[in-house]
Amino acid sequence: MKKSLKPYDILKRVGFNFMIIFVLLYLLFPFYWAVNSSLKTESQLFMTPATAVPRDPATLEFSPTLQNYSVVLRDGQFLRGLANSTIVATASTSLALIAGSFAAFALGKLRFRGRRPALYLILAMTMFPQVTVLTGLYAVITVLGLSAIVSMIFSYLLFTLPFTTWVLTSFFKGLPNELMESAQVDGATPFQTFRRILLPLTAPALVTTGLLAFIAAWNEYLFALTFTAIEPGSRTVPVAIAFFTGAVAHQEPFGEIMAAASLVTIPLVVLVLIFQRRIVAGLTSGAIKG
Amino acid sequence: MAVKNDGASSKKSFLPRKPNFSIPARREEKLALKLLLPTLLIIGIIAFYPLAHVFYTSFTDRIFAGREETNFIGFDNYRRLLSVHIATLDPVIDETTGEIVVDPETGEVVYERPIDILPREPIRFREVNQFTLFGTRYVVGATDRNFVLAFSNTFIFTVVSVFLELVLGLAIALVVNSKFRFRGPMRAAMLVPWAVITVVSARMWEWMLAPGRAGMFNAFFDWLGVVERPIAFLAISTFQLPAMIAVDVWKTTPFMALLLLAGLQTMPEDIFEAAEIDGASKVRQFFTITLPLLKPAIAVALVFRTLDALRVFDIFQVMLGQSQYSLASYNYFQLVANRNMGLASAIGVLIFFLIFIFAISYIRMLGVQRE
Repeated sequence: MKKSLKPYDILKRVGFNFMIIFVLLYLLFPFYWAVNSSLKTESQLFMTPATAVPRDPATLEFSPTLQNYSVVLRDGQFLRGLANSTIVATASTSLALIAGSFAAFALGKLRFRGRRPALYLILAMTMFPQVTVLTGLYAVITVLGLSAIVSMIFSYLLFTLPFTTWVLTSFFKGLPNELMESAQVDGATPFQTFRRILLPLTAPALVTTGLLAFIAAWNEYLFALTFTAIEPGSRTVPVAIAFFTGAVAHQEPFGEIMAAASLVTIPLVVLVLIFQRRIVAGLTSGAIKG
Repeated sequence: MAVKNDGASSKKSFLPRKPNFSIPARREEKLALKLLLPTLLIIGIIAFYPLAHVFYTSFTDRIFAGREETNFIGFDNYRRLLSVHIATLDPVIDETTGEIVVDPETGEVVYERPIDILPREPIRFREVNQFTLFGTRYVVGATDRNFVLAFSNTFIFTVVSVFLELVLGLAIALVVNSKFRFRGPMRAAMLVPWAVITVVSARMWEWMLAPGRAGMFNAFFDWLGVVERPIAFLAISTFQLPAMIAVDVWKTTPFMALLLLAGLQTMPEDIFEAAEIDGASKVRQFFTITLPLLKPAIAVALVFRTLDALRVFDIFQVMLGQSQYSLASYNYFQLVANRNMGLASAIGVLIFFLIFIFAISYIRMLGVQRE
């Protein structure tokens, strides 16, 4: 392995580093540009040419402003959107985890007739096109007279529930059968075994799948847009950002939109970076199995 | 999975001989059904009932959020969506000279007006596109021009974006898979675009693509000196679809790269060491070892992304509004803006079948892999 560096090797190393920088730039640049724009005043935003950091139009000195952030945070729309999104995503994820872990235990560890069809049904559900049932779901919601928030919580189960069930099923399958057998020897019923022994063991999987389901629900736009059409107070973050008009509506307030965009993205990015490894494992297992 | 089942069935016959370990099978079955009940109930209410409702509504002229009476209209909605007519356009002949009329400015042959050729009964056909094949001019007409365009948009979007994501994703996965100092931060950076809400990324790009030199792309092209005048990327139809593809590629390439990276990391290293000793070049190693071994991972990632791309909604709706549609955004438009619930349902059914066909092949492919 140890060779003296030949010019060719140096060239290769430079090329490789160049490629890494290019990829990093590609992945992070749009996000950087959003943060950069969010720190500019309106006149700075429309400076030509656009500047890579907020600069004073006259002196060209570095002069960022937090004005956009204060406008966004004082704007009721955005904060209400955050609250609505938190409620909807948390409730939908919790329901999906509860119902999903029950179903996953049955599918992964119990023997019963119709297990395979049930498994395929749930696999098929993970590929269900949500847009197809848009009109039908709306009809169900009208009949039941559900509010927009409740409608979103339930309709998001359409994608969170099959996902949690499928990933948790594969996790339960991976747990050794001896665990159940020895619990039975000790006189535990299957449900007790599930609740006292298997469920605590699945805690890491619950966190990962829960996080992924939460992000999917946090991201959802089509249902939210449709169900909040006549109830603007229930808009979630994506809908609020899509409709963002700002305080003075003479033109699209891109500085404020970028501030809102950065505000909702930064916590998510931090969360994702903390759970990095688990997310990657969850994503790949979720995708490969369902 | 096959292995798992064999294990379970052999255990079934084995269990009665060890009475201590057996649970009465019927009790176990009952428990399983009880545990599955909430999930099945929820899926029934939010998926199967609405699906049946959508199928039914697609045969009616139901109005969204209205009190008008609903009529059963059979296949009319489908007929409206799917009627496509291709006709030949003849060149216009000058009546006095008997020669083919040529446009004096462009020097091109003048053809008949499509509006005179396309059928008008029972519903008027509108021009979608014109093309020339073997010297003959054709016109494509459809009764629902926007649906046909939405279909072709979605199709082109899917093919191009999934292809680019695969190529870029593979490149990034290969880079991240090799050993270098900043591998950890690099892998973390890959998750950033994935974590950005789709609507938010759409607005971020909308701003970068802004017309005028305030837009990042226009400023950049201006700096390079490649354009004379700033381009309104999202207003000019030639740039609209490429812009959608660019946003989607940025957002989902990391996902593709992660799936492929997982595939790369399961590869045994000694194969590459052996190839190295045999003097195979890196390029040769890639084509003869890496790519064939990565095939299953690529297949899964491809189909997974294809299904997602076919139902694209967010970026089209946010960035293009009603100037160009994807299938899903056209469905939404017909439902909410046009209040044509019957037609929207028919579009939903068509999307369902489109994705169903893909999903079946997906399951087949996975099934084959399990064997």
